[in-house]
Amino acid sequence: MADFDAIVIGSGMSGGWSAKELTERGLKVLVLERGPEIVPERDYTDRILPWDSPNLDRIPQDEIAEHYPKQYGGVAYAIKETTKHFWVKDDEHPYEEAEGTRYDWLRGYHTGGRSIMWSRQTYRLGPQDFEANQKEGIGVDWPVRYEDIAPWYDYVERFAGIAGNADGLSQLPDGVFQPAFALTCAEEDFKSRVESAFPGRNVIAARVAHLTAATEEQRALGRSNCRARNRCEHGCVYKAYFSSLNATLPAAQRTGNLTMVHNAIVQSLDYDPATARVTGVRVIDAETKQRRVYTARVVFLNASTIASAMILLQSTSETFTNGLANRSDQVGRNLMDHISGAGARGLMHGFDDKTVYGRRPGGIYIPRYANITETEKPYLRGFGYQGGARPISSTNGQIPGIGRAFKEAHRAPGPWSVSIGAFGEQLPSPDNRVTLHPSRRDQWGNPVAVLNVTYGDNERIMLEEARKDAIAMLEAAGCTDIRSPNVNLTRPGNRIHEMGSARMGRDPSTSVLNGRCQAHDVDNLFVTDGSFMASSACQNPSLTYMAFSARAADYAADLMADGTL
Amino acid sequence: MISRRDAIKSLVITVGGSSLLSACGGRVVLDALTPNASPRFYSEREMAVLSRVSDLLLPRTETPGALDAQVPALLDQLMTEWASSETRDAHRTALTALDTRLQASSGGDFLEGPNAVAEQALAAVDGAAFAGEPVEGYRALKGLITQAYFATEAGAVDEQQWVAVPGRWDPCVDRS
Repeated sequence: MADFDAIVIGSGMSGGWSAKELTERGLKVLVLERGPEIVPERDYTDRILPWDSPNLDRIPQDEIAEHYPKQYGGVAYAIKETTKHFWVKDDEHPYEEAEGTRYDWLRGYHTGGRSIMWSRQTYRLGPQDFEANQKEGIGVDWPVRYEDIAPWYDYVERFAGIAGNADGLSQLPDGVFQPAFALTCAEEDFKSRVESAFPGRNVIAARVAHLTAATEEQRALGRSNCRARNRCEHGCVYKAYFSSLNATLPAAQRTGNLTMVHNAIVQSLDYDPATARVTGVRVIDAETKQRRVYTARVVFLNASTIASAMILLQSTSETFTNGLANRSDQVGRNLMDHISGAGARGLMHGFDDKTVYGRRPGGIYIPRYANITETEKPYLRGFGYQGGARPISSTNGQIPGIGRAFKEAHRAPGPWSVSIGAFGEQLPSPDNRVTLHPSRRDQWGNPVAVLNVTYGDNERIMLEEARKDAIAMLEAAGCTDIRSPNVNLTRPGNRIHEMGSARMGRDPSTSVLNGRCQAHDVDNLFVTDGSFMASSACQNPSLTYMAFSARAADYAADLMADGTL
Repeated sequence: MISRRDAIKSLVITVGGSSLLSACGGRVVLDALTPNASPRFYSEREMAVLSRVSDLLLPRTETPGALDAQVPALLDQLMTEWASSETRDAHRTALTALDTRLQASSGGDFLEGPNAVAEQALAAVDGAAFAGEPVEGYRALKGLITQAYFATEAGAVDEQQWVAVPGRWDPCVDRS
């Protein structure tokens, strides 16, 4: 008799959904979280007023050098003295980069994982994204089409709460939306000028996972509408933005079917060749270093793309000598992220007598047009832009002058600033991969990750073109003082959208998972974090992880109910 | 036992002199130099220069100024608790260089002399720094003073009308 019906490894964006769906189907579920517990009432710091944070909320420089060189180097904007507990210390959780390569592995180990710190931009993939690999003969064909996942997008959006407009764009399908955060007056002007100069391009309000018209279901979980504070990196006592901790885990908890164990670092999965099933999960306690095994009928791997691949690679047996469910040798390969480092900013005039009130979570989004409404591009796929136009608000003292004039210049009427930055698609390549270090171990005895990811010509050319397009759109919008630094590609991993390390596909010899996120080689093993992504598209991916997790959990619960599993 | 207020008062007189008191006056200035009873990082001279520069950059107007907002004490804390030794050295070098330059251009009386003279001296340095002339560390120092000011309740709420909980998003509002 197994300890649990299901074990979910990881409590972040996707693990929360796996736990919610499985517990709501009446299954007894154990969630293993490798980090400590976050208690919102105790550990969110959003109610600390800025002037009550010591040292301008800056982490001491020596502490950054010692503990956060990678994390801070990657997301300095989010790692503050009062938020550093949401990010790992690099010296405690080391990884290596293959010679000549760089990789930003930016993460937090605690209840809710990175769903606490995500940027909350929320977009569906479109039909083109599920078809591109097949059309272009790149990677493997997605075993799923947009129509298959569309109802699950609806399902997760309704629960999570997404603020957005129905924009009627086929490549960025509409969903179940709460009212959007409206465009500023300068953004409205930018939109009309850009859309008239470039008929195939659209400027829309960012779609974000923030409540603006909380439903009864959301209120029942203690969630309420966004207060436009822009304190999201600190957590949110209003639980206005979606996270596992704010939404899916409490929903799982209230079923009475959830057991949560923290500080439980998974080492490997036990495999029984007689039944061809996973039987248990080997863990080590992060603090006591005690080892134990939990057993279950089904295992959901939601440890995040790199970590899930590593767990599979660590789970070797006579049957799977190179890692569990890895007959295809694709585990750890095809690691993708999105690419930024191209954009433009400028000034917009004519709005001096206007300003804004409140601090919204998102700005504008320019959905992908390349190779959709505009063809003949010197690259495959495309990119979207995130951006915004707002009154210039500077507090960094880089304005000339002293005294009253200097002081008041910080709130004087003036031109608005507009900026847009590209997020491009990265093509899958089997050579971009995570492997286990042959000898180096972390303090729990687990192999350290070796990341080996480089960009190809398609990415480089695409981002050069994205820069040119950005300048052209700002020119069309009548901007002055347009500035666009040379393209400086973000390091792989830096967009924190890593994915693809256990891709889904139709052929078990070339892919790890089937279209339900179920391992081809092991029927009771599901991987529903970003690992399953067969291509990266260019949209922020969390919503897609949510939808596939809910769909996979529903499928697994069906199989358990009919006795197949 | 000396009271906190007395301790601070003596500090003000020591580091700032009468010009500080006359520039800002009264109780607010006394509070301006809390929470540290005495500077941990700065020498008395450095604290005096920093206080004078902060006051000239961000004076009290209809809203509180940098001294009301305790900016010098905040920077003292920042240098003690946040800065690496490299940052401390660079900051100290910049402050010393600025002191030398301001003393020279204000007839040796930047701290105690008339405001108009001190303002002129600082404005000249500022103009040069923003005209591209290398003025060692000045823009970084100005940046730090300004960031610290706007991070205080006085700078954020009184001067910038920052609201902790806006409660709503209004994308287009007439400036009043």
